[in-house]
Amino acid sequence: MHKEAAIREPLILGHKSFHDVTEDVCRPIEDKAPKMWYVLFGIAAIIGLYGVGCILYLLGTGVGVWGLNKTIGWAWDITNFVWWVGIGHAGTLISAVLLLFRQKWRMAINRSAEAMTIFAVFMAGLFPLIHMGRLWLGYWVLPLPNQFGSLWVNFNSPLLWDVFAISTYLSVSLVFWYIGLIPDFATIRDRAKKPVAKKMYSILAFGWSGRAKQWNRFELVSLVLAGLATPLVFSVHSIVSFDFATSVIPGWHTTIFPPYFVAGAVFSGFAMVQTLMLVMRKAMGLEAYIHTKHVEYMNIVIMVTGSIVGTAYITELFISWYSGVEYEAYAFINRATGPYWWAYASMMTCNVVSPQLMWFKKLRTSLVFTFIISIVVNIGMWFERYVIIVTSLHRDYLPSSWSMHYPSHIDIGVYVGTIGLFFVFFLLFARFFPVLALNEIKTILKSSGESYKNAPDTHHGHSANENNNEH
Amino acid sequence: MGMTRKYWKGLDELKETPEFLKSRDEEFPKEMSVEDFLSDDSLAESSTDRRDFLKFLGFSVAAATVAACEAPVVKAIPYVNKPENVTPGMPTWYASTYYDGNSYASIVVKTREGRPIFIKGNKDHGITKGATNPQIIASVLGLYDSARLTSPTKRSELTTWSAVDKDIKAAFAQVKAKNGKVVLVSNSIISPSTYDAIAALGAASGSTPENETFQHIQYDAQSYAGIRKANMETFGEAFIPDYDFSKAKTIVSVGADFMNSWLLPTQFVPQYISSRNPDGEWMSKHFQFETNMSITGSNADERGMIKPSQQANVLAYMLKNLGSPVNGVSTELSTQASKVADMAVKSLKASKGASLVIAGSNNAAVQILVNKLNMVLGSYNTCIHPANKINMFQSQDDKMNTFVNDVVSGKGPDMVLFYGVNPVYNLSNGKEFGEALKKIKNTISFAGHADETAVNCEFVCPDHHALEAWNDFNPKKSHYAIAQPTIRPLYNTAQAQESMMVWGGVASRGGKDSKVFYDVIAKNWDTYGFQTQAEIADLATYWGLKVHNSVGEEVSLEPVAVTFNAAALSGLSEKLPKTSTLEVEMYQKAGLGVGDQANNPWLQELPDPITKVTWDNYITMNPVEMAGKYATTFDQEHGLNLATITVNGKSIKLPVYPTPGQTPGTVGVALGYGRGANQEKIGRAAFQTKEYGGYAEDENGKLMPIGANAFAFVGSENGTMSYSAPASIKQEEGMYIIAATQIHHTVMGRHSIVRETTLETYKNKDKEAYNPSYTLQKLDENGHHVEAPMSEFDLWDAHPVEKIGHRWAMTIDLNSCIGCGSCLIACQSENNVPVVGKDEVRRGREMHWIRIDRYFSSDEEAAIGTRKDKDTFSFDKAEIAAENPKVIHMPMMCQHCNHAPCETVCPVAATTHSNEGLNQMTYNRCIGTRYCANNCPYKVRRFNWFNYPSYKKFTDINPAQDDIGRMVLNPDVTIRTRGVMEKCSFCVQKIQAGKLEAKKEDRPVKDGDVTTACADACPANAIIVGDWNDLKSIVRTSSDDKRSYQALEEVGVKPNVWYKTKVRNEDNKELAHLQVEPVAHSNGGHEVKAHH
Repeated sequence: MHKEAAIREPLILGHKSFHDVTEDVCRPIEDKAPKMWYVLFGIAAIIGLYGVGCILYLLGTGVGVWGLNKTIGWAWDITNFVWWVGIGHAGTLISAVLLLFRQKWRMAINRSAEAMTIFAVFMAGLFPLIHMGRLWLGYWVLPLPNQFGSLWVNFNSPLLWDVFAISTYLSVSLVFWYIGLIPDFATIRDRAKKPVAKKMYSILAFGWSGRAKQWNRFELVSLVLAGLATPLVFSVHSIVSFDFATSVIPGWHTTIFPPYFVAGAVFSGFAMVQTLMLVMRKAMGLEAYIHTKHVEYMNIVIMVTGSIVGTAYITELFISWYSGVEYEAYAFINRATGPYWWAYASMMTCNVVSPQLMWFKKLRTSLVFTFIISIVVNIGMWFERYVIIVTSLHRDYLPSSWSMHYPSHIDIGVYVGTIGLFFVFFLLFARFFPVLALNEIKTILKSSGESYKNAPDTHHGHSANENNNEH
Repeated sequence: MGMTRKYWKGLDELKETPEFLKSRDEEFPKEMSVEDFLSDDSLAESSTDRRDFLKFLGFSVAAATVAACEAPVVKAIPYVNKPENVTPGMPTWYASTYYDGNSYASIVVKTREGRPIFIKGNKDHGITKGATNPQIIASVLGLYDSARLTSPTKRSELTTWSAVDKDIKAAFAQVKAKNGKVVLVSNSIISPSTYDAIAALGAASGSTPENETFQHIQYDAQSYAGIRKANMETFGEAFIPDYDFSKAKTIVSVGADFMNSWLLPTQFVPQYISSRNPDGEWMSKHFQFETNMSITGSNADERGMIKPSQQANVLAYMLKNLGSPVNGVSTELSTQASKVADMAVKSLKASKGASLVIAGSNNAAVQILVNKLNMVLGSYNTCIHPANKINMFQSQDDKMNTFVNDVVSGKGPDMVLFYGVNPVYNLSNGKEFGEALKKIKNTISFAGHADETAVNCEFVCPDHHALEAWNDFNPKKSHYAIAQPTIRPLYNTAQAQESMMVWGGVASRGGKDSKVFYDVIAKNWDTYGFQTQAEIADLATYWGLKVHNSVGEEVSLEPVAVTFNAAALSGLSEKLPKTSTLEVEMYQKAGLGVGDQANNPWLQELPDPITKVTWDNYITMNPVEMAGKYATTFDQEHGLNLATITVNGKSIKLPVYPTPGQTPGTVGVALGYGRGANQEKIGRAAFQTKEYGGYAEDENGKLMPIGANAFAFVGSENGTMSYSAPASIKQEEGMYIIAATQIHHTVMGRHSIVRETTLETYKNKDKEAYNPSYTLQKLDENGHHVEAPMSEFDLWDAHPVEKIGHRWAMTIDLNSCIGCGSCLIACQSENNVPVVGKDEVRRGREMHWIRIDRYFSSDEEAAIGTRKDKDTFSFDKAEIAAENPKVIHMPMMCQHCNHAPCETVCPVAATTHSNEGLNQMTYNRCIGTRYCANNCPYKVRRFNWFNYPSYKKFTDINPAQDDIGRMVLNPDVTIRTRGVMEKCSFCVQKIQAGKLEAKKEDRPVKDGDVTTACADACPANAIIVGDWNDLKSIVRTSSDDKRSYQALEEVGVKPNVWYKTKVRNEDNKELAHLQVEPVAHSNGGHEVKAHH
């Protein structure tokens, strides 16, 4: 068995046995949901339904119900799209990249992070759809054989690359997530007493029996999918950034965008994981599995990616001046000092200053501070996209067309609605799905569990054998 | 020949097998009686069971449902007998003439399937040389106005012509019997034949030379009586002479907006433009002294800011410096204005005998000074032609004033007729006049709508729309013209002249196809035209030719000498307007003019050429004066401060709009707004609408007019109307949202958008000094960095449009464009561009395919688009327009880039490049991602945010939502649906038509075959369209000119549109300092780079 250095902090606190792990994860699913869950679900559902209502009004009336104009053709719609896609990135990074790098601390968070990814990509995918003038013809972006003549999609368009990138990303993430869920569903199935639940979980578990052969294949598939998903982590947001980078609009036409967008995505994604995880661990009693060390690790990722993002901002500023391009230079002067200076200032404060605070160990191990910063970062990252999209468009080449963007209440409704829908999905996930990869956690219990780690083998070997037989 | 061969269709037939015989014999089923059929027992064993039945039912329901989804099929009904001159799908063009009392032009009307759908200027015939204005082009929409009266009315009740005729004839008899007085109030009548009809009216009233009981008052909303009065005093005859701007080397206009409203702009603009060619022998120098920033002022070389009352001061100042001082008239001017006046004097001295001074004031005393100045300068019979009198604007202000006072004081005549006038709207005491009218027993209006005056009349006898009627015109002494109908009258209307003749007893009603007035015109043209010439022997040929051209032959006139009566100068000072700390000037906008077409949504949505505001009038004030008191910036969410102006106890409340160039101490208000204030049914688009559709209502539940009526301020001064007055202004609570299409006013020192230079630089320096080419560095074969032109750099392969087939291109001369907006309305008319209303415009969503960007200079710029000092240039200061800025108008539409950024980003390839260089938009394929619009550096793409042809928000404004209004739509251009992108197509339908025409004639396409609506409409010929691959085409030559450049060339999108540098005839040392010829690379390469 893999033996971990004694000085490494344990990843599972307390005297957890294998059975305890199963119990801890399955209990919320099997018990009645707490009142708080209903309250939160109710709020999320109402907000989500309001968003759905706004979307229906939008589809029935026209894109004009948003605050867009002839100069600013994209604003909150694509801002939200990029924001949600970015949030999704942490899940894939945790499940794929950290798997390949054998970062065991990921096991505590990968399940819910992946769930977050999928729900975030749902929300993200919604925006390119509803932002279309004619959604009902949206399938024309797919290269479908057709009888319209020689009509075919335009492979030059980054928007088309987006279609492929997002759909690939969503399908790979979904498969990856689901494969990981199968053994855990089997565990729940085996414990389920109510017939309906048993039936449901046995369907979901795909007949998993836990045989060695199945575990062997499971590991292999996980690795293969991790291999597939890893390039996606970098490709998806690179391609999203191409929407802007390949254009001719000053402030968009920037070669730094792909790495900068990927870093920003990971940055915001980890922040969202923090937000969700800090609440979830408390609410579901998972403090033993997701503890300060995990939070600290994630904060370090936030700090590193935040610094990359900050460097990118400053590089952009430098290049805009150094290039000597009049429009480029003005675009950045305008961002910082123009009518949208407040958006730029929010972005700079939230994304450049706040992650630097993580250099202090005291701060990065403080859960309250982490929670606050995680929200600050996501606000900052929303503003980053808003700044890139709106402040570049609103004052581009011809001053005659310069304009301002004011969101309508439908803009706000749709955005807030997607947050509601996201939480509807996430709460359902927390209620009915195993929020920790319990079978994966068990594999590190002996190497990284507090009660096993650095203790005499006899004592723990005994109890481990005991627990191994249970499920 | 015997049939020996046997033909068979198959071996079965040949062999006559039993199966074949059976099937042959039973090929057609035998008749079976119903009884037999029903008695067949096997029917009962039919295999249709319950499940089958449900399947069939399900299928039928589904099929019916699916079938119901199909759009209803509307079948086109072909002509049984093809009408003459109407070929479905082919336009027919008719020459005609437009005259509405304020504007005059020779026009050509395009009709499709019998419907007039487009008006453009007649370039071949007439005094206007193809020039029109937005109002003339937009007037075609007025024909299809559903608010027009559909038949005559008596006390607002619809009735029949026979009933009306009977009543009115009886009324005439009554008046005649008691020797009563009849007054006809009309706008200036320039139709010789109409005078015949009016004579019949006089006879009906029993008027005789001895006992004149019939009075005809000619009254214009905008009066020019001052000119006639001044000429009466100085030359002994009340007339308006003809002006020739093409001969004037120095033009000094003191408050006359001669490119937009003053007298005859449609004649003056082409004349003016002809002398503004920097490549010509000479280029005129234009000085403008004015209060409001007008279209004319925005095009002037030098512009002085004066108060309305200072027009006399400027004239006296110039007279003094030209050596003919006028006693008693103040020459006091601001430093700024006197500086410009000094330059003007210098220029006038240098061009004596070839200069022209005009003034906008309607005060006769001011016009006397103008006459004196022109006498001193020797302009008569060089630039001013007293022999060729302009017949427009008879403006009998004194008679009108007496008449109005009579009516108001109850001493009114026994009968009043209103023809082409709306005095209740455009008199300052219109409301009282309207009330008083009701007390007069017999009142008749010929208005097409139940307008402000007509609702107060007993009878309204609606006249035809101008496009439905015959007419003839004599706008000036040397010139005659004809107007011919282009459609059978849509409603039960009757030509006003016919009504006059019927009531006068000299004709009877002719119905819809009436020839009553036509016969009068034809007879007059026979008598005074045909019989006075010898070239054409046959009357039918003569008349056919005249109608075809709609213009008579030019009458040659001998020049008449004028002698100035020096006595006219005495005692002038008392008659001059008094100066005041705050003065208001009333002006006409390019769109609405005097308000006759206030119900025309195209014109309401036409951005004002200077302020770019739509759907409103406002108080213009210099932002320098507004600072600290009023908001000087605004956007779609934040409006402008409201204020009340008071003149002579009458107040109107309007927002205060920051207008650079407005003279400090003055404000301006546009006429023509505030129509329908008492709910008169003047048209659907004449009232304010709400954010989600429907009309806005005030607290009393009444519809709210658009803007406020500034005619309330028009006073009378020495017997003539006065369009300026001392005023007071008071700031009001609250803000007012304004809808402008441009909210940023300067070009921010950007050099590759607009370019301008001075005539001196242009003449003496190399192209690189004022129109530098963009170069980039590249490595030559020896590895050295060399500068190479932009055209050598390509990111990817160019579209194969060079040297193959056609490549449609356009050049736009910024030196010619005056910013009038005619192109915009022509484009709207040609391409079915939707009207979106004020709320959408303020949200930045106007749909115009062509816009005219207007840039003011800032204090940071030596000329628009140049930085005075590169090191101290401040973006903040560059955003603020100068107090008295220079102006450039820049038409901007799709540039049809050969490396179009919109084309690469469309995921579904809905926008593509044609092999003729056009950037095409396939509406059917568009899914509306708007990526193309974002990626357009020129921001010319327009998105259909809503379903404009059906969404309720646009019901009251978009003509396409009105059954009658829809008739104006051009059938060659599709109506775009919601969610698709649209933009300028270079009028691809006209290009195709031009190509077809050439193909039919089996010849290559040549210049003139292909044009766009905007180029066609431009009164200044600023826009040229053609085939760039044709090396000899005008557009190719024009694009190769040394003034030509491409906007944003350095972006590398390779547009097919070229702009030509504006050349001002001014002395601009700062600009001359910047525009230096580049020196050779070896001894100062940085000089070259300085332009990049």
